[in-house]
Amino acid sequence: MTLRKSPSNRPSHYGQLSLNFEKRRNKTIIENYYQLPPLRASRALHMNPKNPAEATVYMVETAGGLVAGDQNKFDINLAEDTSVCLIPQSATKMYPSFNGMWSTQNIDVSIASNATLAWKTEAVIPFETAKFKGKTIINMAKDATLLWGEILAPGRTTRGEIFAYEDVRTNFQVWLEDECLIYDALSFKPEETDLVQLGLLEEHLYVGSLWFVSPNAHEIDIKKLNEELQEIKEVQVGAALLEEKAVNLRWLASDLVLLKQEMDKVWEVLSNFIIEKK
Amino acid sequence: MNNQREDSKKHSSTKDTSINQSYLHLIQIHDSAFPSGNFAHSFGMETYIQEDDIRNEADLKVFCEMYLRHNFASGDAIIAKEAYRLTKERDLEGLIKLENICHAVKLSPETREGSMMMGRQFSRTIEPLIDDEFMSVWLKKFRNKEVKNHYSVVYGIYTALIDVSPKMSLETFLYSSITALVLNAVRAVPVGQMSGVKTVHAMLPIIEEVAEDVMDYGLDDLDNNSIALEISSMRHEFLNSRLFIS
Repeated sequence: MTLRKSPSNRPSHYGQLSLNFEKRRNKTIIENYYQLPPLRASRALHMNPKNPAEATVYMVETAGGLVAGDQNKFDINLAEDTSVCLIPQSATKMYPSFNGMWSTQNIDVSIASNATLAWKTEAVIPFETAKFKGKTIINMAKDATLLWGEILAPGRTTRGEIFAYEDVRTNFQVWLEDECLIYDALSFKPEETDLVQLGLLEEHLYVGSLWFVSPNAHEIDIKKLNEELQEIKEVQVGAALLEEKAVNLRWLASDLVLLKQEMDKVWEVLSNFIIEKK
Repeated sequence: MNNQREDSKKHSSTKDTSINQSYLHLIQIHDSAFPSGNFAHSFGMETYIQEDDIRNEADLKVFCEMYLRHNFASGDAIIAKEAYRLTKERDLEGLIKLENICHAVKLSPETREGSMMMGRQFSRTIEPLIDDEFMSVWLKKFRNKEVKNHYSVVYGIYTALIDVSPKMSLETFLYSSITALVLNAVRAVPVGQMSGVKTVHAMLPIIEEVAEDVMDYGLDDLDNNSIALEISSMRHEFLNSRLFIS
C-alpha cells in the first residue's frame, strides 16, 4: 500500500484573483473582489506617505508555486482616478513538469482614465524541467499610468539549478486604447538554445524588465538615466524612451540581490513622476 | 509581374516571362544601387563593434548567425511572411493589426525608427514601379499617418503583389537584411571586403534553413531571446560617436 498519490493523479489548480478598485472619499478602495485558492489578496492598506489615497494590496499564492497543469488567473480593474500598488508576496515558482503539461499564468489589467497601477517587481523562478507560459495584457487609457517590474530567474541557483527548465514563454503587452505600445514576448528553451552565446544572455543569468507608461514619460531625462545606470559594471542595462509615452528598461545580471537593488533604485526615480491623485 | 505598370506589363506576355521578370525585379530591389535605406542602420551591431566584440571575420559570422536565428527568425521574418499572406488574402484590417504589433515588438527606439525609415525609403522607390489598388490604399493610409509602414510589412506586401513565391520573398528578405549588416560591418570593422563576401556566403545555408522554419510560423511565434542585442540597440543612441543611425 502506498500513501502517496501518483503525481499524475494530482488535480490541477485553477487559482483566480479578481480585484476591482474604485475611488471613494478621496481614497482608492477594493469595490469588489473574487478569489479562488490558492490566490488570495490582503485588504487595501493606505500606507504610502507620498500618496495617502493609494491602495496597497498584497497578493499571496498559498500553494507555494505552480505545478504542471496549474493555472493562475488575475483580473485587475482600476476605475477612473484610482491609485493602486500591488505587491506579490513572493516569487512565482514553477515546479517540474512531471507530466509534460504547461503551467500558465494570465494577468488581465484595465486602467481607466487618470488611474495609476504600480506592480512591484518580483521574480519568476522556473525549476528543473518546468514548462511555463505567462501572458499579461494591460489595456489602459491614454492618460493612465503604469509602473511594472519583473525578473526572470534561471532556476533555483542556490541548488546549482541554472537553466535546467524546459521551456519558458512570457508575453507582456501594453495597449493604449487601440495602439499597441509594448509587445514583449520572451522565449527561452535552454536545451535547444545556447543562451550564453553573443547577443542572447551572454554571461548573465537574470533578465530584469521595468516598464513605465505615463503621460509624464517625456519629462524623464533618458540620457542621464542611462549614464547613471552604466555606472554598475556587473550588470548590463539599457533604458529607452518609447514614443514619448513610455520608458522601458532591460537588465541582464548574474546577481539577483544587485539586480533588485538597481531595479528598486530606478523604481524610486520613476515613481516620482507619478502624479498624485487629488 | 502582372501588377506592374503598363510599360513593364507589355513585356510579360507569357507566364514564364512573368516569373523571370519577377525574379529579375527581385534582384533589382536588392541591388546596392536600389535605394532601400538598408545601409544606414546597424541595428545594435555598432555597439558590439565599439565594445570590441566584433573584431574579425569569425566574430562577424557568429554575430550574423545569431541575428538570423534569434532575431530575424522570431521577429521581422515572421512579420514579412504574415504581411505577404494577408496581402494575398487582401486582408487590410489584418495588416493594420500586424503592423501595430510589428511596431510594438521593437523595444529600442532606434530600431523602431530605423525600420520605419527603411519602409519609407522602400515604398518611395517602389511606388512608381507598381500600379495596384491594394498598394495604393496601403500607401494612402501611410500618408494619412494611419499606418507606420515598417519595412518588413511593406516588403511582404510588395513581394505578394509582384507574385514571387512566399518562400522566395522570405529568403530574399533575410538575404538583403544580412547583406546590409555585413556591408556595414565591412565599413566599420577592420575586415576586408573578401571577409564580407565569405561571411554572406557562409550565411546562405542558414538563410535557407531559417526561411524554411519561418514558413511554418505565425504571429504566436513572435518572440525574443536576444536580450543582450536588444540592450546594445538601446544603448547605441548614447554612444559618443556613431557611423550608423541605429
